[in-house]
Amino acid sequence: MNHDETELISRCQQGDPNALKEIFDQYHKKVYRIAYGVVRQREEALDIVQEVFIKLYRSIRNFKGKSKFYTYLYRMAVNTAIDHARRMGKSIFSSLGEIEGFQPSDGIEKRPDSILLQRELEERVKVTLERLPTDQRMALIFREVEGLSYQEMAEAMGCSIGTVMSRLHYARKKFQELLKNDTKEERRG
Amino acid sequence: MKDACSAVSKLLEKYFDQEVTKEERSFVEAHLLDCSACRDALRFMEELRTLIKVPVEEAVQKEDFPWVWQKIERGIRLEERPTFWETLQSWLQISSIFQRKVWIPFVATIAVLLFVTTQFIIKKTPSYSEPYVVEYIESETYNIMIFESEKAKTTVIWLFEVPEQKSSTS
Repeated sequence: MNHDETELISRCQQGDPNALKEIFDQYHKKVYRIAYGVVRQREEALDIVQEVFIKLYRSIRNFKGKSKFYTYLYRMAVNTAIDHARRMGKSIFSSLGEIEGFQPSDGIEKRPDSILLQRELEERVKVTLERLPTDQRMALIFREVEGLSYQEMAEAMGCSIGTVMSRLHYARKKFQELLKNDTKEERRG
Repeated sequence: MKDACSAVSKLLEKYFDQEVTKEERSFVEAHLLDCSACRDALRFMEELRTLIKVPVEEAVQKEDFPWVWQKIERGIRLEERPTFWETLQSWLQISSIFQRKVWIPFVATIAVLLFVTTQFIIKKTPSYSEPYVVEYIESETYNIMIFESEKAKTTVIWLFEVPEQKSSTS
């Protein structure tokens, strides 16, 4: 943790709302990525971001600086997102019409059949991600969405680098199997 | 080739995640040139990353985060809004006099003054009740009128003569 960040956190611990705003400016996109990665739904992801920063403001006094600040924040984001996903239950797998994200920008991607295919693919990714155990899903999101190193992931998840590698490996393997099975079922259907 | 594949497969994910050493990188890259199965495995990981990452990045681009910050600020302000008791406490701490804890005798003095003043005001404006006639008796020589005042508990008997005779009262 560099000096500026230490000072920023110390100001926030003293209840300075401007310090919280600076932390928000620095980290909101990262928190949003984690939130969206877990729930794959815009409104819910925004609610999670809001909840995480309010929680942070309330609990930052308990941050003693033993771990890196971003791992502290990421852990908070992950736990909040998982809580939301649990509360949402199956409802996060909304109908195709409600799916957001993956809006192609131009050319052939604008064709309705192409849009539908991409939406279907996105839906399948959602379902597959949800079928993974939480720790494996988080490993995948930390690595593929946030681009964290093994060391950073181990800190954020509170485990060893070996465990991180194992979770990533099994997540990728399971993802591959689930996607293959879905494709087979579709062909049969 | 199979032995090389099994050796590389242990490193392939680390290579993809950019966690290998220089030597490991050279070893994997040399193998990838000749092995389509390992290239496929690598391509799958790339596709998976795209599938997971692209929708997230597109969602980030669309968001209006200043609006989210406003909601957070509002949420914090709501949490910090003081309760009635906290407001009262802070009001009591406004004046330095109150901070010195002089407010207990101060309030007691005000209460005593109020009590005394109230008594005085009540005494100054007593409720006054008029005496009223209870009985009036006429006779040939005297007429009698009896008054009663409830408040003073007094009874007045008034005796007066009929006309052309001496009158007397008691």
